[in-house]
Amino acid sequence: MKYRIRMISSTHYDTSAPLGSHVLRLKPRESAAQRVTSFAIEIEPPPADVIEGVDFFGNATQTFTIEKPHDVFVFRAIAEVETTAAPPALDAPSPAWETVRARAWADADNSPWSPAQFLFPSRIVSLDDDITAYAAVSFPPGRPIVAALDELMRRIHADFIYDVDATDVTTTPTAAFAARRGVCQDFAQVMIAGLRGLGLPAAYVSGFLRTMPPPGKPRLEGADATHAWVSAWCGPDLGWIDLDPTNAMLPGNSHITIGAGRDYADVAPEIGVIVTYGKQALEVAVDVTPLD
Amino acid sequence: MSHVADPVASILAGYRPLAGGYDELVDAAGRVRPHWRPFVEALEQVGLPELNRRADGIARRLRESGVYYRAYDRDADQAWPLSATPVLISAEDWRIIEAGVIQRARLMEAALTDFYGPRNLVANGDVPAAIITGSPDFLRPMAGRTPAGGRHLSFYGVDLGRAPDGRWWVLNDRTQAPSGAGYALGNRIALARTLPETMHDLDVQRLAGFFQTFRATLTARSAPDSAGVCLLTPGPYNETYYEHAYLARYLGFLLVEGEDLAVRNGAVFLRTVAGLKKIDMLLRRLDADFADPLELNPSSQLGAPGLAHAARTGAVSFANALGSGLVESRALMSFWPKLSQRLLGEDLLLPNIATWWCGDDAARDVVRARFDDLAIAPAFTNERGGLFSFGAAQAAALSPQDRAAVLARMERRGGDFVGQELVTLSSTPVMSPEGFEPRPFQLRVFVAATQDGWVVMPGGFCRVSSRNDPLAISMQRGGMSADAWVLADGPLVYRSLLPSANALEIRRAIGALTTRTAENMFWLGRYLERADACLRLVRALATRAGERDPEAVDVAERLCSLLETWGAIADIEQDERSAGEAAAEAMQATDMFGAPPVLVRRALHAASAIRDMLSPDAWRMIKGLDRQLSEPLDGAVADTLDRAERGLRELAAFAGYAHENMTRSTGWAILEIGRRVERGLAVARYTANFGVSDAGPAALDALLELGDSQITYARRYFVTASPAAVADLLIFDEDNPRSCAFQARHLRDLLDQLPESAHADAVHALRRSVVLLEAAMASHSPGDVDAAFMTSLDAAFLHVASSFAELYLADHPDAP
Repeated sequence: MKYRIRMISSTHYDTSAPLGSHVLRLKPRESAAQRVTSFAIEIEPPPADVIEGVDFFGNATQTFTIEKPHDVFVFRAIAEVETTAAPPALDAPSPAWETVRARAWADADNSPWSPAQFLFPSRIVSLDDDITAYAAVSFPPGRPIVAALDELMRRIHADFIYDVDATDVTTTPTAAFAARRGVCQDFAQVMIAGLRGLGLPAAYVSGFLRTMPPPGKPRLEGADATHAWVSAWCGPDLGWIDLDPTNAMLPGNSHITIGAGRDYADVAPEIGVIVTYGKQALEVAVDVTPLD
Repeated sequence: MSHVADPVASILAGYRPLAGGYDELVDAAGRVRPHWRPFVEALEQVGLPELNRRADGIARRLRESGVYYRAYDRDADQAWPLSATPVLISAEDWRIIEAGVIQRARLMEAALTDFYGPRNLVANGDVPAAIITGSPDFLRPMAGRTPAGGRHLSFYGVDLGRAPDGRWWVLNDRTQAPSGAGYALGNRIALARTLPETMHDLDVQRLAGFFQTFRATLTARSAPDSAGVCLLTPGPYNETYYEHAYLARYLGFLLVEGEDLAVRNGAVFLRTVAGLKKIDMLLRRLDADFADPLELNPSSQLGAPGLAHAARTGAVSFANALGSGLVESRALMSFWPKLSQRLLGEDLLLPNIATWWCGDDAARDVVRARFDDLAIAPAFTNERGGLFSFGAAQAAALSPQDRAAVLARMERRGGDFVGQELVTLSSTPVMSPEGFEPRPFQLRVFVAATQDGWVVMPGGFCRVSSRNDPLAISMQRGGMSADAWVLADGPLVYRSLLPSANALEIRRAIGALTTRTAENMFWLGRYLERADACLRLVRALATRAGERDPEAVDVAERLCSLLETWGAIADIEQDERSAGEAAAEAMQATDMFGAPPVLVRRALHAASAIRDMLSPDAWRMIKGLDRQLSEPLDGAVADTLDRAERGLRELAAFAGYAHENMTRSTGWAILEIGRRVERGLAVARYTANFGVSDAGPAALDALLELGDSQITYARRYFVTASPAAVADLLIFDEDNPRSCAFQARHLRDLLDQLPESAHADAVHALRRSVVLLEAAMASHSPGDVDAAFMTSLDAAFLHVASSFAELYLADHPDAP
């Protein structure tokens, strides 16, 4: 599938900000399953200098400072992406989850996408005994890992209520788990906390869903904003498998990946440090259109 | 073990070493060890009562040298408790320690170089990947980079303990931003004054040379056109802030906080009153994760956006480099013997505590089998929401529930845990009025990188347990510090603690004045002067308590309403409280923004943020005043009056001190500008309330009293007060240090002492504001002082303050 993605974010400051430093992570990731054919970004007010970079986990970054007083900060990104991903078959054989765990902890690789990077608590995802106990129900001894992951994903989907007012980007999985409510970020981070609590490597993926579903298919939750899901390491042969607990599905052609890391903090589309007083108002609009 | 059998040491009668451990002072047979003997003889000569008398002065001496620490759970500063008895380390022991810690520093540096660089140790299976990735101090934005200057570690601390067999062991590595060297220096200075003759006779190695080398090495890494080496601190709320301020003063580095720094076009600048100044070398006491909210911890308000990028490109060097905390992990303890072979081709000279990392199945089995003989601890630091909330613990002492929880967690995530051999520490003597007692201790030793190697501070920071339990694990809290005296083999060459005359360059102005420091100086001056003005109102009010004369009652009511307007007392109906009650209320208010105790507390906060700029005496004055004003009052008018009088005396002492003892630097000028503006405002407001043309004699008397000008007036006029004559004295007389005109003239002079600025418009606006102030007075005469004139004078002083702040305290975002 080919898509055109447009994202617009504008922040209005109550009092003029003399200075703002920002990092954007908006460029979709290149991978075997996804090709980026074009990408452009506009920033207002225009910064003097934009530093293009790639962070530890391979996400593209734009870093810049706006050095003149401004009341409004806007960025617009337009990307064209081609996805070729087909979800893996759930009934294919996979190793017992304990085997995967032992392998991850003994791994002799600490490159950015080695499983060892994703075993530990991260900025937003702390380990939590209650979440671990919840996840453990799907992980009886010896169960093949893919079957266990699939069941955990479906349980989270069934047990949690999708509620855009219950949480915000800083909500911890512990709080979301206690409320059994939240948005895609919370669904994903609860699942990640459960997997890491069991000693399994789990990553956070951010991206987009197509806004309007194909004819006859239901509209997916999270289609009007950036979306998030989980990637779980399933041993050296299967590698990383993506799971979307918000929609209880394995991402395929309708999911476009922007960034990936340990939790939301690693992939936040925008991080900013501004000097201002008073309130800020943020508006974000996302539009994902199929081109073919 | 028997008590001391040594005939030379009657002073040690009753000293009984702890069972099972090594004692620093006496051997197994109860004889004083040879290197302690001259020291014990010296103590014997001074005698126990005199020693205890001298020890009582130690806390005061530490305060004098500015050594405090702040406990996180308390608001107050505390003098570091220092043992009056140093730990003596023989030359022979020191050779072993020195060689061992230098080797370990080399090892740490080599390991960091590999972990952040080629990652060969992990790829070759020498260290499991999870040991690196599990550390919260593995800073991913720094991976794959060599730090500027090519080194990760510039300053390394290592905790040592001595085992029962007499060998020294490594307990902890401190590679992030080791604390304690500044306290060690403060301890040394305090103890040198307590036992001067002893220290001299014993040939105790001096610390100054080490700090000179450290200073010179860092200075050499800073380009000549930069503003010099800066010490980056998390600020006054940090537990060891006083050490940061103390070291900055001692080393001659500028003490800066994150908000003093700005990154522009990839370079790092200091925000100063004279604009942005480039810097390139930071001695870092801020934990690296907080250094940059853009790339590291986004919730940090202590760093500066862009610092991580500047570190990656080499625009700025950090000592230690961002990410150096990685090798502090307990998990790595089990791998150092092997890594020493792999990286250096050497065996460890000093062993470290036997450690088993439970992420390895075989090691976990060992820990399970020996559970009750071991300490169980987090493999990494436990700051980031791990499962382990209680730090290191003796496994045998765990409650049944904790034990079950730990074992269950170890089953799922063994890699979060280590098991460590329980360490029995050696003991050292501490003094009490009754004599000497043994106490367990550990020694922190400091190693600094030089251009071509490493140098060890010949001394250390000892933590001495307050209890008799020799297990190292019981040392986590409490206790006191002790100085470590390293004894020389032969006679020492004398070196001053101050830099030697040859090495000293003459510097008139030390470094630049940061905007933050300037702002705190300005507000320190303003708050202190405002407190002075308010205390004068309180004093005037208290002396009129119980007055029945209608004119005096009227004055008291006006004083009351002025205190209300100034926010010193609550705004209620006049007849609901007496003059005495109102005065007492102002002296005790803790939630009224204009009350003297609150103003002094704010002055103290401003002062605490610029500790490195203030002498210990100046600090102590403000601190003493704050303490005085927060003590309870008995409510009697005499008590209130006395409190106000004493407060005014303290403030006068500070003003005199500032006048006599502060260098006429930019910082001083800014403090003075704050005071002058605030005094001008106070006198203008007094006059508006008591001195305008229809004022009666009682009001004019009050005004002269508030303006501290009764004596001058009486000598000039010998008659009852007339409005015009009082106005002349308080507004127009340039020779009266309390007059508005005097403040204006001084403000004009002070502006000349401020640094030049590129912002021509703002410079012009500030100068104009003072000209307008003087012009307002020049165009009026004492006869036509009315309310409108006083309002315009009030506004003119405020305009000077805002023009000053606009030019020197505001953030000018334009690049240099």
